[in-house]
Amino acid sequence: SRISMAIHKSLFASLLICLLFQISHGATKERLFSDLEKGALEVTAKPSRESVLDAGIDKLSITWKLSSTATKEAEFTTIKVKLCYAPVSQVDRPWRKTENELFKDKSCPHKIITRAYDKSPQSFEYTLERDIPTGTYFVRAYAVDAKDHEVAFGQSTDEAKSTNLFSVQAISGRHKSLDIASVCFSVFSVLALLVFFVNEKRKAKIEQSK
Amino acid sequence: MAHHNEDEGSIGTSMHGVTAREQVFSFSVQGEDDGPSSHTARFDDPTAKFALPVDSEHRATAFKPFSFAKPHMTAFHLGWISFFTCFISTFAAAPLVPIIRDNLDLTKSDIGNAGVASVSGAIFSRLAMGAVCDLLGARYGTAFLLMLSAPTVFSMSFVSDAGGYLSVRFMIGFCLATFVSCQYWTSVMFNGKIIGLVNGCAGGWGDMGGGVTQLLMPMVFHVIKLAGATPFTAWRIAFFIPGFLQVIMGILVLTLGQDLPDGNLSTLQKRGEVSKDKFTKVFWYAVLNYRTYVLFLLYGFCMGIEMTINNVISEYFFDRFQLELHTAGMIAASFGMANFFARPLGGYASDISARFFGMRGRLWTLWILQTSGGIFCVWLGRATSLPIAILSMMLFSVGVQAACGAIFGIVPFVSRRSLGLISGLTGAGGNFGSGLTQLIFFSSSRFHTADGLSLMGIMGMIFTLLVAFIHFPQWGSMFFGPTSDERKSKEEHYYAAEWTEEEKRQGLHEGSLKFAENCRSERGRKAASDGFSHSTPPENGNPAHV
Repeated sequence: SRISMAIHKSLFASLLICLLFQISHGATKERLFSDLEKGALEVTAKPSRESVLDAGIDKLSITWKLSSTATKEAEFTTIKVKLCYAPVSQVDRPWRKTENELFKDKSCPHKIITRAYDKSPQSFEYTLERDIPTGTYFVRAYAVDAKDHEVAFGQSTDEAKSTNLFSVQAISGRHKSLDIASVCFSVFSVLALLVFFVNEKRKAKIEQSK
Repeated sequence: MAHHNEDEGSIGTSMHGVTAREQVFSFSVQGEDDGPSSHTARFDDPTAKFALPVDSEHRATAFKPFSFAKPHMTAFHLGWISFFTCFISTFAAAPLVPIIRDNLDLTKSDIGNAGVASVSGAIFSRLAMGAVCDLLGARYGTAFLLMLSAPTVFSMSFVSDAGGYLSVRFMIGFCLATFVSCQYWTSVMFNGKIIGLVNGCAGGWGDMGGGVTQLLMPMVFHVIKLAGATPFTAWRIAFFIPGFLQVIMGILVLTLGQDLPDGNLSTLQKRGEVSKDKFTKVFWYAVLNYRTYVLFLLYGFCMGIEMTINNVISEYFFDRFQLELHTAGMIAASFGMANFFARPLGGYASDISARFFGMRGRLWTLWILQTSGGIFCVWLGRATSLPIAILSMMLFSVGVQAACGAIFGIVPFVSRRSLGLISGLTGAGGNFGSGLTQLIFFSSSRFHTADGLSLMGIMGMIFTLLVAFIHFPQWGSMFFGPTSDERKSKEEHYYAAEWTEEEKRQGLHEGSLKFAENCRSERGRKAASDGFSHSTPPENGNPAHV
């Protein structure tokens, strides 16, 4: 009975701790994408060539400036520019889903550049990183206030995310040296086994004939 | 008295001893013994040369896990570590999926199908492995599997699309048949009294590989990235580690291992007259016994669910709770690592309940453990905060892994003649269940992964109701007692029913009768008051685990 009391107490304690976690976590997840000011920044992203871009090699010329329709300019402290998935690259891939809750949204995982906010038009020459997956993308710039909360954004495509998209082809990740090493170790594995096997059979035959 | 022996090489013998309840002999044996210890040794080798105490077949009668003494403990360690290594290789891709899916442009269906493929190959390789061990011995059986599947692990460096990824995972999955070779090896090395504990440790510690890999692969990946490789190359290099482990283990098995206590298969001569049991008969009695199918399905929802979780849980924590890759791996690893104590615990619980309530106690224990596993699985799917998800996952892991241990507390009693085949079929059921649950719940965008987990838990609980249908005329079932028919309520009647009249006249069923006498303890506390002569039922430790 004392043991069951102890078990009850520890279960209750852990439940309490979990509840506290729930409450504290819940408070920070309320900020929504739909609350942000749309089109506060005018963003353009020009690929270095017209065809599918190669990760690790090709570049994007990105520019952003304050839009004439922006109202929350006073709060802008930093600009975070990100590479985002177009809807076609989100199909059957729930880990890239667009969510309204900013904390949960996974559609813009790749950081391009973060710069302090400047009134004058900004530009950046971005070389596509080697870990960018194959897909179709656009560029979005979030305007962030001093508390690191997003307040506004601008993107290089329209609201339906259908214009000005560009495609990227990922690196394969394969290397000739890796392929060769793989073949060598595989051959070694099979050969070692065969050598052992044949050797032992031979020894057994010799012993039997004695 | 007729000879009753199972020479190595006869079909089905490879799985004998897998569970704690029968005697396993490497060589032919006289029928008039009432235990292995009174058999006159056919060789003059002094048993003093062995580091462990041995019986007349030179099988160890003591289990010392910290010893590496040749040949018994060496065989034990080589066996379970080989099995452990294969679990690492089979589930090595799972914690790296967040990287692999970006490199190969995989969809959720691609990932799910590859997961199904990774467990499907072993359904067949496990069934074939028994025959392989009978023909080549445990040493070569293990080494062949390790060293011929190592190339499949290395070939991850060539994969460039979803099709390649699926093929490689399918081929790697074949090596899970090391379960069979591991259990076969310990069965010829250890005496029947302790084989339950030995096999339980070997099985449980091997299964831990599915947990360790969730920790190992992200760490290796991280180190390789620090060394300068780009992520899409680093994960391919990471796969060389399980490949190396397999090759190294293969070489160790060949150089340090020994098939049998007295030497290797090829250098020993077979003696004695052989009356091999016919495979068709063994197969027939397995197929006719409805409990085979029930166990096949039940194991699919404890071991099967466990293997499914090995494939999906790391990605689940990574995506749902926005964790780092190695943090998600750590959490996922604790699921598989619980095997170290959870499986033996289940077998132990089964043995304890049998002491009081007999077979009915075992059935209820299984139902309780597997159903609680299902309940906590549902809770895991519902959990929206990290601490609750971890708590529910740990409770879920203990429930479902203990259920795996508990099932093998029941398998030994289902059949005496077809024991090996039924044990193998139960094991294959685990892979089948894993393939099925991954196909239904985790291969399409129909369900969010969280909902998939909850639905899988519910499906598991529904299938676990099948335990109620396992009925033994001599012991009863969950809701019914033993039959009141005087003749049918004897254990002998149940086990002798597997032999035809002709075979009974030849005395081939002697072993079954002896077994029936030994398992009267499955009546529970009533057995004590029956005043029967208590033979050598191995009550300590748990039967084998897959």
